Amino acid sequence: MASSGASFKSGGARRKATKKGLIFTVMIVGASGCGKSTFINTLCENPVILRKDHADAEKAAQLKTVGLAPTTVELDEDGLKLSLTVVDTPGFGDNINNEPAFEDILGYIEHQYEEILAQESRIKRNPRFQDNRVHVLLYFIQPSGHSLREMDIEFMRLLGARVNVIPVIGKADSMTPQELNAFKKRIMEDISHYKIPIYDFPYDEEEDDEETIEENNELRGLLPFSVIGSEDEVVINGRRVRCRQYPWGVVEVDNSKHCDFSKLRYMLLSSHLHDLKDITHDVLYETWRTEKLSKEGHQDDDSGEEQ
Amino acid sequence: MAPPATSGPVSVGIANLPNQRHKIVSRKGASYNIMVVGESGLGKTTFINTLFTALMRDYKRPEQRFAKQLDRTVQIDVVRADIEEKGFNVRLSVIDTPGFGDYANNTDCWVPIVQFLDEQHQHILNHETVPNRKTDDLRVHACLYFIQPTGHTLKPLDIEVMKQLCTRVNLIPVIAKADTITPADMLAFKDRIRDCISTHNIQVFTPAVHSEDEDATRRNTSILAAMPFSVIASENDVQVNGQTVRGRQYLWGVAEVENEAHCDFKKLRNLLIRTHMHDLITSTHEHHYETHRVAKLTASGRSDDDPALQARRGFEAKMKEEEAELRKKFTEQVRLEENRFRQWEQKLISERDRLNEDLDKQHSLVKQLEEELEEIIAARKR
Repeated sequence: MASSGASFKSGGARRKATKKGLIFTVMIVGASGCGKSTFINTLCENPVILRKDHADAEKAAQLKTVGLAPTTVELDEDGLKLSLTVVDTPGFGDNINNEPAFEDILGYIEHQYEEILAQESRIKRNPRFQDNRVHVLLYFIQPSGHSLREMDIEFMRLLGARVNVIPVIGKADSMTPQELNAFKKRIMEDISHYKIPIYDFPYDEEEDDEETIEENNELRGLLPFSVIGSEDEVVINGRRVRCRQYPWGVVEVDNSKHCDFSKLRYMLLSSHLHDLKDITHDVLYETWRTEKLSKEGHQDDDSGEEQ
Repeated sequence: MAPPATSGPVSVGIANLPNQRHKIVSRKGASYNIMVVGESGLGKTTFINTLFTALMRDYKRPEQRFAKQLDRTVQIDVVRADIEEKGFNVRLSVIDTPGFGDYANNTDCWVPIVQFLDEQHQHILNHETVPNRKTDDLRVHACLYFIQPTGHTLKPLDIEVMKQLCTRVNLIPVIAKADTITPADMLAFKDRIRDCISTHNIQVFTPAVHSEDEDATRRNTSILAAMPFSVIASENDVQVNGQTVRGRQYLWGVAEVENEAHCDFKKLRNLLIRTHMHDLITSTHEHHYETHRVAKLTASGRSDDDPALQARRGFEAKMKEEEAELRKKFTEQVRLEENRFRQWEQKLISERDRLNEDLDKQHSLVKQLEEELEEIIAARKR
């Protein structure tokens, strides 16, 4: 699986990238109303995605195509500059028939791969080429409390082969702790039963050290991550807390007992960022490239024979 | 003669009719059918169990889900129960629709539901003319449509299905899992839903607001203002401030089911059972069933008249036509005959005249001869 012109693997290139600032692309997919936009805004600590205008009742019944709108935000993680591109997918899962939306999203991801392939094959490569490949896809599962739905299974299966998929439970404040645990267990059972490929924090028993193995195991046990998002800040006991206020209590976003948001953020933007990028480049992109070139290879042979 | 009996304000006992009716109804009991429609995981089963404080429906068993997860069908499940409270019996049926809206492609997922509703109306319609009219009445009296608590607005699937259902059954939209939405968001959400409903002309069940009782009017107005109802359901009891209430225990507090500030469960329960149950049952029969009946009957070509009457009318019309024709023929014949008679008359008259002339001639001849005779006699005498 030798990758020609792998510009991100060698150490020198990585140091250069660090100075320039890391590039990371996250795609967020899920049915409308799962808390995706709020999550993005909470993640970036900025109102990156504006609130959709839902006031038009006429539009509510219309067919919606999936919008794929990348937005870039500059973040500073522990002194490391990060250029985070977030691709939101409003309109996914909103229609009566959602199967066309799957193709749209898959097409977007494969299109980024095609661009890279085209760049690699040029005689004079563009040094300022921007790598827009999606490094991780966060799939928001609706907090039904039962198990995965048919749409979830089909979608994750389709896209797990092309991109790192991490399942996330949105609006996790609708479930009590027991319900949440049972729900997580059932989802993981479904994922293994239907052999859905997801990013489950792989580690190498021999190569990696104890700490990494333990960390990965812990994160694996937390899958799928439960997430609560909020853009409102309230002062509680003198400190500013991001939370949701209900008549019966206050849910804190950053409290790891309430949800896994902080762990997810740390994992995405600090500890596993490079791993996700590496897997995207070394495994997923290569698989796609092999499949694509072997298909074209056959065509070349045929045309040669004809001539 | 005795004076006529005075008809003053004497109570005959007609005012006792409602009491009699009450006794009859409480003896007969009632049949109540509720349908719940909505995607899976919205708390429909929990809601039904909470509403009737009894385990009406078993929860779906997660171990058995693999067999059906990718099935892509919508089913209709009917669960029956007999509930008794203070001597009053209710034959309750709860109709669930598992599989609705659960798939990637949900086109036509409402068709089995609509077919079921129509079949129930048709069943009763068919039984109107059968000798033995006692039959199971499974007409749905109230259909609760569970809306996902997205906080945005209605989805295209919701709008399409509600449009189909509202013409066939009393539709009550319900916001499920209301403990996901903060109070401010909830008000905005309800507003948007109401907006959507009125824009798309969906006829949801609206209870009559005005009644003679002040209390009832106030209650009805508050019920109307709270639609669509936000609902939290739970069968578990939790401790709050030393009291045992039904609610959901979170790490950050307890969301109570019967607390009006938390959700509209109490209002919905009142609507479904305490105050408007009879209203729902009668409006199903008087409004939705009648609509169905009229549609079906006019489609099969019948109009308001009795068929015998119609046949007779047709017959009468035919008779009139024949009568007119005969009359014409008769007049024609009469004219012909009259003509004939006239001609005959003419002939006779002319004959008579001729004969009269002859007679006159003869008379004059005779006179002449008489005169001649006289002359001759006179001449002889001289």
